[in-house]
Amino acid sequence: MMGAEKVGMMKGMAGAACFGLLCAAMPALAHHAFVAEFDANKRVKVSGTVTKLEWTNPHAWLYVDGKDESGKVTNWAFEMGSPNTLIRQGWRRTALKEGDQVTVEGYAAKDGSNNANARSVTLPDGTKVFAGSPATDGGPAR
Amino acid sequence: MRLPTSAACLLGVALIAFGQGTGGTISGTVTDVDGRAVPGAQVQAKNEAGAQFQAKAAASGGYTLAELPAGTYQITIASPGLQPFMKRNVTVQAGQTARVDASLVDFASLGSVGEDRTFYANAFGAHDAPTGPAPRTPDGKPDFSGVWHTLRVVDPGKPEPLPWAEEVTKERQANNMKDLPSARCLPIGITLEGLLLGFRIMQNPTVLAFLYEDELPRQIYLDGRKHPEESLSPFVGHSVGKWEGDTLVVDAVGFNDKTWLDIQGHPHTDKMHIVERYRRKDLGHLDVEITIDDPGAYKKPWSMKRATELAGADEEVGQYVCTENNRDVQHLVGK
Repeated sequence: MMGAEKVGMMKGMAGAACFGLLCAAMPALAHHAFVAEFDANKRVKVSGTVTKLEWTNPHAWLYVDGKDESGKVTNWAFEMGSPNTLIRQGWRRTALKEGDQVTVEGYAAKDGSNNANARSVTLPDGTKVFAGSPATDGGPAR
Repeated sequence: MRLPTSAACLLGVALIAFGQGTGGTISGTVTDVDGRAVPGAQVQAKNEAGAQFQAKAAASGGYTLAELPAGTYQITIASPGLQPFMKRNVTVQAGQTARVDASLVDFASLGSVGEDRTFYANAFGAHDAPTGPAPRTPDGKPDFSGVWHTLRVVDPGKPEPLPWAEEVTKERQANNMKDLPSARCLPIGITLEGLLLGFRIMQNPTVLAFLYEDELPRQIYLDGRKHPEESLSPFVGHSVGKWEGDTLVVDAVGFNDKTWLDIQGHPHTDKMHIVERYRRKDLGHLDVEITIDDPGAYKKPWSMKRATELAGADEEVGQYVCTENNRDVQHLVGK
């Protein structure tokens, strides 16, 4: 039977590969479904001054005063993971402080507010704040 | 019968036309929304005869599926933390290469720092596990104690919802799960616990307890008691366990109807009765089968399967106080 052996192999790998509906409905796996709040088609990039870092549950929030082309300043609120998920990726509550200059990229809120999620936080020298730091081996804490 | 025949004809024609190997190739590159490579993405090709083939994207994001029988393929490309990509009707001809590039979009947390694809890859992947026999308690029962990694969905099951429950599930999905209980800092339900963060099990001869970072603890009584007339813990139910050989069989009732059953958003009623079978087959591995019997929402009982591995001895289960600063609710618009 053509491909029978390969099909058998696939069966064993299906869990890891996470194909189909299993993945499609996974927005439920977070404190809240980010796609219910933020628009995956509305990328935002804000450069400016950190005004506050709320190191709180269920999410840390990074507030940044960003200036648009006309010079108008808007205070953006960027949602990040929970403090514990951030800590496990290398963040610390002292990672950013008031007055730091940053560029934050993310997706804007669907409701038109000045909220967004933060996909990356970049310092003026181009380094990203803990982006891509390997977590622990998937463990719950360290 | 028609498809294999036509596939064979196509193969024959291709052999004549090119006079070389019987196989064709699909190759391409897997990137994310920023154009960066997605190494390790799983690429699956399935033809009309049902044969399936797999490849993994290299560090460059490139992949190649070689020596494929000629035919029409469906390509699925997936990587944890990213939305799967699918392309149908990809034609493969002997001696030729079909190119399928994929740009995978973040989902779940939209790539948010702290809960980005690295987080999900760690949460959903299998983990290295220590080897050895399953430990036992002084009375000879298997001891489930320890910190365990997140539970992997091995089999999500095939629920057959009653019409109202199917409607509710569709509505939740259409609204991007905006009413997920945890978004309002409410318990997510015992069948969703442990899927995102690891957890600790503590066990003595009379009770086994699950400690979660982000959910209420749950106790399973092992002392032979019966279910009470009225549950004192309606979000997690009242659970009693008994041993069948080395398997712990847990019977849980006394639920409210406010939690969700799975990541598809299936609802349940307060008639729900859950039977779980826990098995620690060796030191490092825990398997769970969960059977849901809810005549108020489903045509018949159905089962889901989960598995996980033991985490290192230094791992900790922290605390997460959801109501501290939940600023999301007013912004959860759904669609």
